[in-house]
Amino acid sequence: MTEKVEYWVKIPFGPIHPGLEEPEKFILTLDGERIINVDVKLGYNLRGIQWIGLRRNYVQIMYLAERMCGICSFSHNHTYTRAVEEAAGIEVPERAEYIRVIVGELERIHSHLLNLGVLAHDIGYDTVLHLTWLAREKVMDTLEAVSGNRVNYSMVTIGGVRRDIDEKRKRIILDAMKYYREVLPQMEDFFLQDPTIEARFRDVAVINRRVAVEQGAVGPTGRGSGLKDDARWSERLGVYPDLGIKPVMPQDVTGERPHGDVFDRAAVRIGEIKQSIELIEHALDQMPDGKIKVFAKDNILVAKLRNLVDGEGIGRYEAPRGELVHYVRGKKGSDKPPRWKPREPTFPNLFAVAKGVIGDQLADFVVAVASIDPCLSCTDRVAVMEDRGRKRVLTERDLIKASIKKTREINPDIRGDPTPVGLGCSR
Amino acid sequence: MEEQGKLNVTEDVTEAFAQELLNEFPSASVEVRENKLGRKRVWIRVDRKEYKALMRHLRSLDPEAHYSIGIEQDMGDHLGFTSHLLLTWRGEALSVLVEVKAPKDDPRIDDISEIFPIALQFEREGMEMVGIDFEGAPDKRRLFLPEDFPEGIYPLRLDDKGVSEDMVKNAGHPYYLKGGSKR
Repeated sequence: MTEKVEYWVKIPFGPIHPGLEEPEKFILTLDGERIINVDVKLGYNLRGIQWIGLRRNYVQIMYLAERMCGICSFSHNHTYTRAVEEAAGIEVPERAEYIRVIVGELERIHSHLLNLGVLAHDIGYDTVLHLTWLAREKVMDTLEAVSGNRVNYSMVTIGGVRRDIDEKRKRIILDAMKYYREVLPQMEDFFLQDPTIEARFRDVAVINRRVAVEQGAVGPTGRGSGLKDDARWSERLGVYPDLGIKPVMPQDVTGERPHGDVFDRAAVRIGEIKQSIELIEHALDQMPDGKIKVFAKDNILVAKLRNLVDGEGIGRYEAPRGELVHYVRGKKGSDKPPRWKPREPTFPNLFAVAKGVIGDQLADFVVAVASIDPCLSCTDRVAVMEDRGRKRVLTERDLIKASIKKTREINPDIRGDPTPVGLGCSR
Repeated sequence: MEEQGKLNVTEDVTEAFAQELLNEFPSASVEVRENKLGRKRVWIRVDRKEYKALMRHLRSLDPEAHYSIGIEQDMGDHLGFTSHLLLTWRGEALSVLVEVKAPKDDPRIDDISEIFPIALQFEREGMEMVGIDFEGAPDKRRLFLPEDFPEGIYPLRLDDKGVSEDMVKNAGHPYYLKGGSKR
């Protein structure tokens, strides 16, 4: 009888890996194919947003917050705005609240469809990827028609919204909802009934209820593990209670008790798309007439906030990935907040899934990470490069120079002046 | 700040919670604030000696309490750490904020990761960003900052331990404002 010898291997997974959408590093300890431990290292996308925020005023931070992430840009902007409104004691007109609901739910539809596609892609089921992303185009076009942009909508401002939803836009949104009512049964079919999807998603990366509570899992990740919470519901946010908001639990969609696996997280997303369609239709129906913002111009807003904000404010909103929290502390007489901190839902979810994959196969790791819909947007665009043993930091200017040099190398005959044009860009 | 007399005026769950907490921790300052949407939040300010006991008490009120965010900040002569908790108490979801402060020359705060495990990650961020020392934290490695970032520099500090002007590489940027909120 021989003694069993175990070989544990540590491998880095990321920061740049074809299976990951964004730079994040996991150090996996493996026993053969089985995952023993996961260590998370963040900061590969650190752009110093909070540091930049110290140098911006309330209105400028609104746009900065929006650019943290392309997919949930509305959520960041909206939650930050809520925090400032709380600190300043501003009341938002009711029509603006309804418009916030409509844009927020449109964003949720596009974000969930994107994630469902990515999940399918990660298990090699690209037909489903193309189908979901094809369906996503409709909502992107709708958002463009409503706000003027496919991402970074800039719909929200402190004390209301920027653009109104008129009859024409209302019709466009209703058309899109009609389209989704037709397409959604198809999605339910391949995500909830397909044997391939069930084989790869069921009982993979199980985050049990205890781990979910300990690691503070939020959004579809938390609800997939059976935690009944939705920030829109528990916060009784804006007009959401009037629209009958309720957390979507996996049992509402699959009819089974929550397993806390990838399948349940996908099922919650399907249920939420359905809920969002209903919310949008109700909101369009109930939307009252009236003002859409408190302050007519941004310069008035900046001047007013200087005196209005005194103290702290918290904004909580259910972003597509889960509960998003922004904190703002203001000082009377200054238009710059001394502290602004956002907390993205991926932050706790990432640690929850790192615990959840322990004991799983390495091959399931990619889909496990994708199942929490990771979005690692955090803080100075800096690239560090090894230059003959010396480390060099590349700044924006260096990167532009390097790319011009490379373009000239590839095509020496290129014409035109590569100097950037624009007001004040004195590079 | 302490509205002990006022708390009994309207009997609702949030106010009752604040009153009970005040009975349990008389030295803490408990304040209920309401925003324009009618959402009430309980803001608790507690001494660092009682911080851990208070967090343990909150956890015992709701074993499934949700720790949402830990906010580290530079408040002039103090370093602050605020936690937001979502507690379900008497069937009501309460939004509770706990603030604890430590002087800059002795920035020690108790680690609460044995009560709320996710708090550890926010504490790691607090350690590298403003330089709070969380006593007894099981993991004191950096989370976001790169390994070669200089020791003793805390990016979100507003004093001379923060990022100095000569460390900023993008200084030619047209929107770069020197000094920030220190100005």
